Parts: sequence; C-alpha cells; structure tokens
Amino acid sequence: MNICSLIVHTRPDRVRVVEQGLLDLPGVEIHGGRAEGKLIVTVEDVGQGKVADTLTSINRVEGVINTVLIYHYDEGHLEK
Amino acid sequence: MKITRREFIKSQAAVVAATAAGVTLPLSTTAIAEKGDEGVRWDKAPCRFCGTGCSVLVGTKDGKIVASQGDPEAPVNRGLNCIKGYFLPKIMYGQDRLTQPLLRKKDGQYAKDGEFEPVSWDEAFDVMATKWKEAIAKDLKDNADKPADQLTSRVGMFGSGQWTVWEGYAASKLMKGGLRSNNLDPNARHCMASAVVAFIRAFGIDEPMGCYDDLEHADAFVLWGANMAEMHPILWSRLTDTRLTKPGCEVHVLSTFENRCFELADNPIVFIPHTDLTILNYIANYIIQNKAYNQAFIDQHVNFTKTPTDIGYGLRPEHPLEQAAKNAGKGKLTRIGFEEYAESVSPYTLDKAHEMSGVPKEQLERLAKLYADPNKKIASYWTMGFNQHTRGVWVNGLLYNVHLLMGKISEPGNSPFSLTGQPSACGTAREVGTFVHRLPADLVVKKPAHRAFSEGVWQLPEGTLNGKVGYHAVVMQRMLKDGKMNCYWQLCNNNMQAGPNINEEMYPGWRNPDNFITVSDPYPTVSAQAADLVLPTAMWVEKEGAYGNAERRTQFWREQVAAPGEAKSDLWQIMEFAKHFKAEEVWPEELIAKKPEYRGKTLYDILFANGTVDKFPYEGKILDDRGNEYQNHESEYFGYYVQKGLFEEYRLFNSAPDIPKKGHEMAEFDTYHKVRGQRWPVVDGKETLWRFRGGYDPHVAGDRTALDFYGNPDGRANIIFAPYEPPAESPDKEYDLWLCTGRVLEHWHSGSMTRRVPELYRAVPDAVLFMHKKDARKRRLRDGQMAKITTPRGEITARVETRGRNRPPEGLVFIPWFDASRLVNKLILDATDPLSKQTDFKKNICKVAKV
Repeated sequence: MNICSLIVHTRPDRVRVVEQGLLDLPGVEIHGGRAEGKLIVTVEDVGQGKVADTLTSINRVEGVINTVLIYHYDEGHLEK
Repeated sequence: MKITRREFIKSQAAVVAATAAGVTLPLSTTAIAEKGDEGVRWDKAPCRFCGTGCSVLVGTKDGKIVASQGDPEAPVNRGLNCIKGYFLPKIMYGQDRLTQPLLRKKDGQYAKDGEFEPVSWDEAFDVMATKWKEAIAKDLKDNADKPADQLTSRVGMFGSGQWTVWEGYAASKLMKGGLRSNNLDPNARHCMASAVVAFIRAFGIDEPMGCYDDLEHADAFVLWGANMAEMHPILWSRLTDTRLTKPGCEVHVLSTFENRCFELADNPIVFIPHTDLTILNYIANYIIQNKAYNQAFIDQHVNFTKTPTDIGYGLRPEHPLEQAAKNAGKGKLTRIGFEEYAESVSPYTLDKAHEMSGVPKEQLERLAKLYADPNKKIASYWTMGFNQHTRGVWVNGLLYNVHLLMGKISEPGNSPFSLTGQPSACGTAREVGTFVHRLPADLVVKKPAHRAFSEGVWQLPEGTLNGKVGYHAVVMQRMLKDGKMNCYWQLCNNNMQAGPNINEEMYPGWRNPDNFITVSDPYPTVSAQAADLVLPTAMWVEKEGAYGNAERRTQFWREQVAAPGEAKSDLWQIMEFAKHFKAEEVWPEELIAKKPEYRGKTLYDILFANGTVDKFPYEGKILDDRGNEYQNHESEYFGYYVQKGLFEEYRLFNSAPDIPKKGHEMAEFDTYHKVRGQRWPVVDGKETLWRFRGGYDPHVAGDRTALDFYGNPDGRANIIFAPYEPPAESPDKEYDLWLCTGRVLEHWHSGSMTRRVPELYRAVPDAVLFMHKKDARKRRLRDGQMAKITTPRGEITARVETRGRNRPPEGLVFIPWFDASRLVNKLILDATDPLSKQTDFKKNICKVAKV
C-alpha cells in the first residue's frame, strides 16, 4: 500500500483545466479545494502507475504553480 | 459502515491535506479519517534535504519508517511538505546501502591499487590512523619552532552542511583542537560561502536579519538567481499564497534562463550571465538620480565604502588570469563618502544596463521603480545564482546596497534574504564554524584572543590552536594532487561529483599513491568508489540530530530507527577515531609540558571524556513527553548522553556570559526537543524574528524605530561599491555557448539518495541538455538526440531537451549535476570568487555537437 496526499496550487482561473489534467493521471483522486484553487489530491499505486511517476507528472501539468506533499504512507519495504 | 485500511489511510491523507490548505472536505471523508492509527509511533524531525527546514512527522512501525506527514505545528511549513518529502521514508532503504567498512586490499594488506574488501571498524581505523600518524609525524618536523600562526598540516577533513550540529562541532574539535589542523572545510563552501563573506563585510555578523515571516509581510518579491519553485517549494508555496491573495503584490524573477518560477512572474527577466552586477548598480544609480534614497536611514546607520577591483578568479597562482590580476584575492574596504559612491554608480545608466544585460528597458525600469518606492516592502531572495559567482561576494553586497539605500531592511517584509541549499549549512557549517578560517560562533582562527578563548572552553594547553587558515575546499583538492596534503576524510557529501574540474584537479589527487582517502557514506557514490577506505554511515533519523535552517532556526530530532548492519553516525566515527591518537603522537613536547596531565591520554580522553561533554548520564533509552522510547546508538556505546554534552559545551561559545561575540545565543538542549525550533538569538527563552531592530532583537535597546547593526563596532552597515567585472571565461568563436549547471526538483544534489528511489530514478533517470530550439537546429539536433558537450576541460554526452521545464535563451545551455553517469562537473573550471573561495558553476563556456 502506497498512498500520499498533496495540495496542488493553481491559479484560480485555471482550476478546471488543471483538474482535468490531474484526473488523466493514474491513481489520482480529487477530494476538494476547487474554490480556493488548492486542490486536495490523493495519489496511490495502481498497476503500472507508480506514485512517484504520477507526482512528477503532476508538476508538469499546465497551470500547476506548485505542489506540496502532505502525507505519505508506504508499507512496501515491510512487505518485502 | 465497513471501511478498508486503504480507504482509511486515503481519507486520513486527504483530511490532513485539507487542514493544511484551509479547505473544508465533505463529511464522509472526515468521518472515515477519525478512527485511530494503529501501531505507528509518530515523532517530529526536520527534513534532511534543503535549507528550508520543514518539520516532518515521521511514522515508525516495526523498526522501519512507514509514513511521513508535514508537521501541522511547524511554523516553517504549517503541515505542508514538498514533493521531496515523498522520498524521506525511502532514502534509507536503497538496495545497495553500505553496511560495513570497505578497504582496498591485496594479499590481505591495505593496497592503494587493491580491491575493496569488508573489514572490521577496528581494522579500518587502525589502517587509517597509521596513515594519518605518518603524515602528522612529518608535520611535527615541519612545524618545529614555528609560531602558532604558521603551522601547516598534511591531514584534512571535508565535511558537510548536512552534518548535524554536534557532528560539525565534534569534527571541529578533533581537527582544530586535537590534530591542530585547520584543513576542515564543508561542502557548504560550494553552496553559500559568498553569502557568508558578504554578511561579514556588510554587517560584521553572519546570517540573515529577516526570517520566513517576511513571506507574508512583503508587498513584492524579487528572485535573484533562485529557482525557488524547484529548490525551496514550501517557501515558494507561501510566496505564491501571498502573491495571489494580497492586492498589488508582485513577483519579479531574474534568471539567466526561464525556469518554473516564471509561471508566477509579473516581471520575468532573463539576463546575460554575470550582468546582475550591472543591473544592481543601475538600480542604485536610479535610486540616487531620483533622490528616492532614505536620507535619515543613511545618515544614522550606513557607511559608504569601496572594495579593491581586478581581484582575479581564485585559480592556481600561476594561471594567466591570476598573473594578470592587479589585486588578486584582495577585499579590504576603503571608506568613501556618499558623493564618491554616487559618482561610482553613475555610469550604470538604463541604456548601459540594457545594453549589457540584454533586458528590455521597461522591465529594468519597473524593477528599479519597485525598489525605489518607499511604500513597497520588498523581500529579495537568492541562492546559487548569486553565490556560485566569481564576483559572488560583490553581487551579494550590491543587493544589500539597494536595500540599505532605501532603509528596507530588518523589519517585517523588508528583507534581503540568502536562501541556503542544505539543511544545516547555517546551523552546522556556519554557526559551529567548520570552515578553514573559523571557530565556533563566528570566532576566527586568525585572532589570538579567539583562539585563547576557544582553548579555554576546550581545556587545551595555551597555544594548541593553529592560527594559520587551512586549505579550503578547492585548494584541498589541489594540495592532494600536489602531494602537500596526504590524508583526506570526506563525510556526508559527494564531492567527487559535486566539486569542480574533477578530471584535472580532483581525481588525480585521490589516486595519488602518496595519499590515503577515506569516504564516509551510506551509499557507494562516485566519491566512495574513488576512495581507499569507505565507512558506512547512519543517516538522518538513524541518529539523534540537530539542524539550523536559513532563518536561524535550530531544530532537533531523536533517533527513530537503527541503522543497517554496522553503519554508524559520523559523530560516532569522529569520536571513535579520536581514540587512536595519543597526545604525544600529535602534539610537540613543549605543548604537552603545559598540561602534563594529558601525557599518555588519547584525543578522545582530552576532547570528549573531558568532564563537560561526558557530564550527562544516559539511562539506556531516550524518553519523550508522551512516554515513547527511543534508542541512541552513540550514547549507548560511549556511556553518556553524547549529543547533550556536545551541545551544552558548544553553548559555552554562543550563550555563556563571557563570550567574545554576542548575538548567537541558544536555548538549553532540552528545550529544542520540545519546540518546533527557535530562531537565535534566543535570550530568556525568547526567539528573535528580526535582528538589529529594537523591539525584536534583545541586543538592541529602544522601540521599533531603533536600529543597531551591532556586528560592526560602530553599529553601522556597510554599503560597498563594486563594479562590473567579466567572468573568468565568456563564449568565443570555438566555445560559443554559456554552460550553466544546477539542480532539479526530483533529485537532491548529487542524487546519492534520491536516485536510489526506484520509481524516481525511472521518472528522471538521466541529466539532459536543456537548450533553445534555434541553438539545437543550428547544430542539426532534435529533441531526444544525443549531443556532445565539450569544454576546455573535457566532454560528456547528454540528450537534447528543448521543451522542458527549463527554457534557456539562445546562447546558453543548462545541465543538472545529479547524474553520476555523466559528471558534468568535470567540464567546470575551478574558478572561484577570490574572496569567498566559492566555485562559479554557472558560467563556463562550451560547444555542443551532434554525436
């Protein structure tokens, strides 16, 4: 299980575009924050879509000003 | 309602994110998250990456780190955590973690040309100490009858701005107090030495007067060679918040190429490399021409001075550029008047600034007007663009000039602020003073009174400390190559990848048969592979630690998990190594005669089991306020609370009543384990937000209109005129492009840790060559094709990228240096700022061709 949450900061007028860009990425869910331009996002491992790859991709989504990570849970190395 | 553990973790993740963002989530999400978290022990620790100093909550389960969360109680990051925080729990679990000492051997014996074999700590240190003693025996001969300020040394240590405070302190004690060698320098030399020298020249005391609170107080922000969006994302996030919520707030971004900060820039400025010197003098000139300066402030708080010019480039003395320099390495300030200063900046007109920098006039004027507006509070930030600069000290000073002319300093929102790159470049390298010229708390080896005070605190015989400044980072490498330094111990950094001119000035010295090279590292880095002895290191929360961030905040953490195998902290290594030297093996007879009780004692006995460091008992475990238990491997081994003893002895330098330099006071050890850090000076339990200002700084009498730059004897700050002078090299017919190196968001510095996170390695595996489309086309190159980059020092190949996050203008290329498979620093000239000795990694010349 590998899950993390982030705040994705966008210009308020570009929230919709960014939201669409994020939802195209694997393992992404948006929980709120549209009105504030601070999207509350969780990312988890799904099949080939690894969290770290998705995080990198989020930064490249057009209109994203900044991404901050809040919480990360990873039991991967315990299971090995 | 039945919920899975996955749903629970996800809801909790979303809720803490929403709390940090001040966003309300639907009730269904919050309800799930309200259940407790089983089996995870949470404790705070500062992040071990950049100099921001975010606090992170670390979740431990079954002896391993399983979770991390931005610390909601931390004033720095307020629950936020940048994307690098994602790697924190993972960096300790790379597949190739070093777990035992490795020595080059042949036929069972140490051999320079041997292969690495596992050895015990005893064997490792025995071999290493033998080599060090051979070198020191030669020093004792060379130094016989020399006065204390002329001692040379053949041993050296290269430390780190990622060391904990006590690691730096113990290293300084061993090298300077024990081995009488000032050849101790940190990798912070490559990072912020220019900022330090500029602080001392302008204010007589190191580190910023402001703090991160300025991010909310300022009306405008100016970035001078700092890619905050990628390198200091949490501060960038706070800046972004202010920009988007405060009416009239604006952001000016200056860089030699477009980076991610340009997304938010109201005034995006790309200038020709090195002309920041010109632009800043133009702004000063604009302020004077328009009589916008703050006359009262200038009259009361400022001296006008100038600095010697034509000062060379810190290259070897025989280099033609040094031979040609009239005042190589000189920096003594001369007092001038306001009139002479005004005259000196007067040639820097708008026309000239535009011509030299290539920046449109209206953009330059907009920037100058902003600084000249008495009603705008301005925070200026800089990092490597200013510091890795052959005129880095000058350019730092030119920015202070602008702030001082306007009196925009030392108050909420008005803040020239040097951002640091490493988590404890301030707390360890600068405050403890692990530089070749420094002693703890801003004391310097050159001053006999400072040496005498330090000898007193350390209970050393009078005359023990060496008064001759040692070999700094770049000169250390030259001295290894020349055989003048023979033993070198590198800890907590990867200099064989990070240092300049690897092929010509570094590698030859490491493999010089006369030399013995030790590298302490958690992973087999390029440095480790080039060494003779590799020592496995405990990292981050595998030890108890303390860091000091860029805003003077000291933060502690406890040991959370055990290091793998036989890996030990650098602190343990330094203290244990000290046991291998007897006083008579490293000190001359006349020195021991002054303290005969030290005869037969080891340096460990003299420096660490000295009644002060070993004063606090260790009860077999460390307890926090909530009853959680933690281990502490150094204290377990040495038999006393090592970190506490070292810190309390260090406080005798910065907080005792009789100290030579006030202004660095810190709280007692136990305080820092309870609070989310405090910003020094800490006096009577109170931290200091804005230094030099009455009402904030305990050393300044009076209310908030009172100012005292008490670092200087006359209480005034220095405005220092310095002109434009060209960089060490500029593009010519053959090498027709500027080469700039730097970092990327995903990888921390040389990638020793982050490249070992598999998903991350996959995401950004290789350094690419960022270049302008037209430059690529001219060379018949397309995106993704391999190009050969050549400088007078060497060549590497990399894939071309014309559409990435960094968009250089025509004439400049950018390559990140995290990639161990293409060592871009072998292309870099070892030219430094002649005053700060910091290398310019930003302005080399190169040519690019299709492979």
